Amino acid sequence: MLKDKIEKHLLEIQKPSRYIGGEVGSVIKDKSKVDVRFAFCFPDTYDIGMSHLGMKILYSLTNERENYWCERCFAPGLDFEAIMRENDIPLYALESLDPIRDFDFIGFTMQYELSYSTVLNMLDLAGIPIFAKDRTNELTQIVVAGGPCVCNPEPLADFFDLFILGEGEEVNLELMDLYWEMKQQGADRISFLRRAAQIGGVYVPQFYEFSYKEDGTIAKVTPKEGAPAVVKKRIIKNFDQVYYPENFVVPFTEIVHDRVSVEVLRGCIRGCRFCQAGFIYRPFREKSTDTICRETRCLCENTGYDEVSLASLSTSDHFDIDNMLTKLIEYTEGERINLSLPSLRVDNFSEALLEKIKRVRKSGLTFAAEGGTQRLRDVINKNVSEEEIMSTCRIAFEGGYSAVKLYFMMGLPTETDEDIVGIAELAQRIVDLFYSIENRPKGRGVQVSVSCATFVPKPFTPFQFEPQDTREEIERKQKLLLDSVKTKKIKVSYHDPNVSQLEVILAKGDRRLCQVIYAAWKKGCKFDSWSEHYHFDKWLEAFAECGVDPAFYANRRFGYDEILPWDHLDYFVTKDFLIRENKTAHQSVTTPNCRLKCSACGVSKEMGGACFDKGKSCF
Amino acid sequence: MIRVRAVFEKKGRAKYISHLDLNRCMLRTFRRSRLPIWYTEGFNPHPYYSFALALSLGFESNCEIMDFNITDDNMSMEEIRDRLNAVMPEGMRIVSAAPQRLKITAITSARYSFSLVTEDAAGLFEAVKTTLAQPELLIEKKTKKGIKTVDIRPDMKVISCEATDTGVDMVMDLPAGTQTNYNPTLFVEVLKKFTQIPFTAEKFCRTGIFCENNEIFS
Repeated sequence: MLKDKIEKHLLEIQKPSRYIGGEVGSVIKDKSKVDVRFAFCFPDTYDIGMSHLGMKILYSLTNERENYWCERCFAPGLDFEAIMRENDIPLYALESLDPIRDFDFIGFTMQYELSYSTVLNMLDLAGIPIFAKDRTNELTQIVVAGGPCVCNPEPLADFFDLFILGEGEEVNLELMDLYWEMKQQGADRISFLRRAAQIGGVYVPQFYEFSYKEDGTIAKVTPKEGAPAVVKKRIIKNFDQVYYPENFVVPFTEIVHDRVSVEVLRGCIRGCRFCQAGFIYRPFREKSTDTICRETRCLCENTGYDEVSLASLSTSDHFDIDNMLTKLIEYTEGERINLSLPSLRVDNFSEALLEKIKRVRKSGLTFAAEGGTQRLRDVINKNVSEEEIMSTCRIAFEGGYSAVKLYFMMGLPTETDEDIVGIAELAQRIVDLFYSIENRPKGRGVQVSVSCATFVPKPFTPFQFEPQDTREEIERKQKLLLDSVKTKKIKVSYHDPNVSQLEVILAKGDRRLCQVIYAAWKKGCKFDSWSEHYHFDKWLEAFAECGVDPAFYANRRFGYDEILPWDHLDYFVTKDFLIRENKTAHQSVTTPNCRLKCSACGVSKEMGGACFDKGKSCF
Repeated sequence: MIRVRAVFEKKGRAKYISHLDLNRCMLRTFRRSRLPIWYTEGFNPHPYYSFALALSLGFESNCEIMDFNITDDNMSMEEIRDRLNAVMPEGMRIVSAAPQRLKITAITSARYSFSLVTEDAAGLFEAVKTTLAQPELLIEKKTKKGIKTVDIRPDMKVISCEATDTGVDMVMDLPAGTQTNYNPTLFVEVLKKFTQIPFTAEKFCRTGIFCENNEIFS
């Protein structure tokens, strides 16, 4: 039995409870009574993957169906991987401890580009052919992927049988239903894929042929086998009524987000031009306060967690935020539960709201200012003014805070040295503000942390056309920022530009990158998001060997007329809108948020009506 | 307020829950049970519970001890036990709940069973006998003050030692409690000095916790 084989080695490795299942809330079924088995795979370690909300939702939703069984699977740490390879332990799922190669579906969630190489490693560990074309024509082992990265799935196209675009709550079950129907009929893989391609939101990459121009850009994308020319993402229209789990799997070992998470809204009204999530998750939809409170209570009671966090892109944009927080705090205080509120925006951060958060917990405050000058913030449509940042910091300092963390990006379109120096100057003005306040916290100095990421242009954003700064340019700007900071009260941290460069290539790449990813994995690349496991030199070798120029994807401006690798996928926002927004950005002109004024991004047409009705979202 | 002492099992997959994780796991178990557990009254109130002895990662146990206080004086021990068992993780079960009798400091020893597995069962059995016949068994033991050489033989009480088809099954009592704690792996370590026969030690299980005169701790 695989379990005995696993247990033989568990005490030789770090945090063994990650590899053996048995957690409270995990779902065990009698496999003789199950028709379709789904291995939900997260291409990173247990500690990271178990924190992912999407997995929790789809896991519970699938398991509600008696004859379907969804299990979890994560990438093993290097210590356990070595043992698995040495002892022929194939990658297995945590509920049954059965090898995932025997499953009907092997589903990966693609949350970040730097997990791509780990997907290949997991398939290999599972004993599943890495390339889709090498898999049997029997109807089994369907390798699928979803999540934000599959809005441009082309760099992964050769490895997957199909991609699920958009939200999975409905389409996943439709896909499993079709599979079970055809399995009973004795159908083969290819005929299943042909019919699956007709389901809305399902993209079968092998049915699309790419041809290229001499300059390397795409000439044409041709659908085959009756597959639709354009595949449209799926969304849940009635978000307030959408399925939400009543229970989570509660891990024994500590994970990154070790708490109850309640989704309060999906989508975002802001339209920050660099933010992929802000566009691909449209339209903006909210849950009612009653639903949010009910789900919070239910999950806290069933899991036993003493911490709950509200999940969204911008919690303070909820139409009923004050009332919602009042009700939630009433419950959590009575039950001695900590409430954490990430994703609060600077501009509608009221004194009353801060007072409420303070009662809950006194932790650091973080603001995403993103740009160092007003001009640049206008370019990226981050509608936050310096007065707003200052007045929020003032409220925070007067309320007893003495540490502020600011997020910025470097390498943004139109950025000049003035914008970089502006980051340091803004931080300095916050330091000065602190010392100008009479009733500032005594006995402590102020700490302003500046965290500076490298801008990565992403598909389906107005900046999808933009090139990324070269590594040399980013390094020059990082040095300029460090030189502009004159005090130890400002702490600067930034990302490795080599990592950001790989991110943009994988985000904006096309099918020709599949071979590069394969070559990099062959050279030992995996866990690229872990700095200790990241080997940029190996990636560069892989690019060279495959004859692919990284700069073609990273540092080239993509033309408005160019066929982009993701143009045949429809995420509701139109290319016309993205071009319009790109032009507006270059004029340093902002676009109002969706609640103030509709900018005709294309979503409302899909939804058959306006996204907002008197300030409240309709969906 | 009732001071409760619960005896619980930690078996099967639950043996991979580390001591640190066990703390968190019990906190959530208490919350799921919705028992009126007493919270500390300090600046950061938290539910009060404590474990008598730490259990090594990978060891099973029939007899782990956990103390906590219940604020409802009228609650029966059966109800406390049943409500916790209803929400316990797989492999963990409250065997009994009763009012605390002795102080934790009364614990003197603990009993462990384990198996030594080898290809050469007869040879290993001889080696175990030779080892146990030694007047002293010196071992380097890591303590808070550094590495110390100790003789574990005087404090080691072998309850049973049987040859099996696959090796040797052993049961022994070792000092435990607030003063001295010996882990049965110390014996395994010392045995390796007396034999070249390759073997592995497995199925460690704590089967009893005792105080003076071999009385079961409760």
